[in-house]
Amino acid sequence: MQQYILQRLLLNIPVILLVITVVFLAGNLRPDYAAQVVGQGQTSGSIEDYQKQLENTRKTLGTDGPLWNRYLRYMGDVLRGDFGTSYLTKHTVTDELGSRLAPSIELGLLQIAIALAISIPIGVISAIRQDTWLDYGLRVFAILGLAVPSFFLGTLLLIFSIKIVGWTPPVVNTAYREIWEDPAANLKMLFLPALAGGLAEAAIIVRFLRSQLLEVLRQDYVRTAWAKGLRERNVVTGHALRNAMIPVVTIIGLLVGGVVGADVVLESLFNIPGAGQFVVISFKQNDFPVVQGFVLMIAMVLVTTNLVVDVMYGLLDPRIGYA
Amino acid sequence: MAAAGNIAIGTGAFETLEELQRPGQLRRAVRVWLRKPLGLLGFAIILVLALMATFAPLLQRYEPDQPFQVLNPNYGAASSDVYSDSGDQYTLDQNAGPSMKHWLGTDDGARDTWSRIVWGARRSLTISVTSLLIAVSTGTLLGIVSGYFGGLFDTLFQRLLDSVQAFPPLLLVILAATAFELSVRNIVLTLALVGAPQVSRLVRGNTLALREMPYIEAGRVVGATSWRIMFRHILPNSWAIIIVVFTIGIGTVIVTEAALSFLAVSPPGISWGYMLFVGVSFIQSSPWQSLMAGSAITLAVLAFNLLGDALRDVLDPRLRI
Repeated sequence: MQQYILQRLLLNIPVILLVITVVFLAGNLRPDYAAQVVGQGQTSGSIEDYQKQLENTRKTLGTDGPLWNRYLRYMGDVLRGDFGTSYLTKHTVTDELGSRLAPSIELGLLQIAIALAISIPIGVISAIRQDTWLDYGLRVFAILGLAVPSFFLGTLLLIFSIKIVGWTPPVVNTAYREIWEDPAANLKMLFLPALAGGLAEAAIIVRFLRSQLLEVLRQDYVRTAWAKGLRERNVVTGHALRNAMIPVVTIIGLLVGGVVGADVVLESLFNIPGAGQFVVISFKQNDFPVVQGFVLMIAMVLVTTNLVVDVMYGLLDPRIGYA
Repeated sequence: MAAAGNIAIGTGAFETLEELQRPGQLRRAVRVWLRKPLGLLGFAIILVLALMATFAPLLQRYEPDQPFQVLNPNYGAASSDVYSDSGDQYTLDQNAGPSMKHWLGTDDGARDTWSRIVWGARRSLTISVTSLLIAVSTGTLLGIVSGYFGGLFDTLFQRLLDSVQAFPPLLLVILAATAFELSVRNIVLTLALVGAPQVSRLVRGNTLALREMPYIEAGRVVGATSWRIMFRHILPNSWAIIIVVFTIGIGTVIVTEAALSFLAVSPPGISWGYMLFVGVSFIQSSPWQSLMAGSAITLAVLAFNLLGDALRDVLDPRLRI
């Protein structure tokens, strides 16, 4: 078991280094692209002026110097926690993003909570009443849920809410309040996007859970439980569900890791002042370090989450790690 | 020969490549497909979308960028209110609902929605199909080579793929856009880069299983080169996975491209995602534009998912999720 964990840890170190390299390449393969984009509208006059200005921008952006030099500097910075400085606000990227992470994380967690609350009962019912009309209906829901993109679902919910129910969620950026400050206002803004994202995630979990549970229910030890005369509730929750949940837990673990990813699209749709929306706005304003820093952060979190999920899977499933 | 080949592919309808060439195959294929009506439905929808995309200029009712005007009924009417203006002779027919004149209504710029949806199919389908084709061809090649040769190369290569897979596709495209221009070509390449590791992983898994087959060993014994074995034996038996991954992957890429244009991070041109985005501002008065664009996206993804599921059931039920 320890060997398994150690192996997983060691294998992930090069992955992290490669991730940092990829982001570095994105910023440095065409070093003058950033300089051109940032310097747009500031050039005037002759070629010499333009060259001089390019050189200046290069110095300020730190893109002068040979590639190796920049690469090592970048790697050192990242490993010390410095993800770059915003072109526009001159604060560090970590500061800018950190101050905006709270709404994103809260939204992500709410989405997972809603997804679990919906998907587990539906998945279980769909499996134990397989091939009944109930099952077919629920599977249609799952198929549709997979096909509808989350931002369209959010739009539909908005339309439903505004036109049919008559309730309009707050649309102004500044209407956001922290959950401990003013829970009502907080939930008013986050409820619809959480529902939209949660339903989309639920569709994924339902399919997976249902197929896993169906497989487990065919196993011999479940037949034994039935033969012993145990009640359906006990057989399903006590024996079948426990084993079927293991792969599902890994998926949930991945979703939790994705929470930091900040649902960029839903945040833009519902105007939630989170990290995702900030990144999109930064991109449109050509503030590249913010975009690069954010993507780097997300990728590193995802790699770490994968590692944790792998280890967890090894711990939960006693068959693994002893091969 | 027939028995040795079918274990890796599974208990689908077509057991080996040899069987596929026997006579009467067409009738069997048709019967198999009729058992999967949802798959046929998906295929039909995809066909319609493909025709829409190809023949867009013929299918549109009006120019997609042409604003429409209607006669203003209030024009010229006398009014006692000094501040009111009866308006111009023509006003823009904005945000109209579906009607006989405009099948799906008009958008905020008073352009015909049906024509725009028809043209939007081009963007979605070309980006998704092209990037998937690139992803599948490179991913398959890499997966088979990596799986067949194994060893250190395989381990290192898998780590490389892990690092690429650590990036969410949407964010990777935005990241690429900070270094390169935001063009259709760059989006296609980036999405192909994201898709290749997943294809490669699945194909590699299949290759690992096939590698142990007796007939592969027999091939080695009679002196077939590695490349011959890979292309003559392993590749044909990998088609099941490749086809399924391809169809389901297209659905994912369509959504990613729509999400990109929804964020208005997309090259200029008509795109369903952008139509959805613009329409959101007008939900209160007229939700039609968003509804139509979003339904188009959903329909396309649904069609590919249905087709992919049916294909997977037919080709290898063990892949079932």
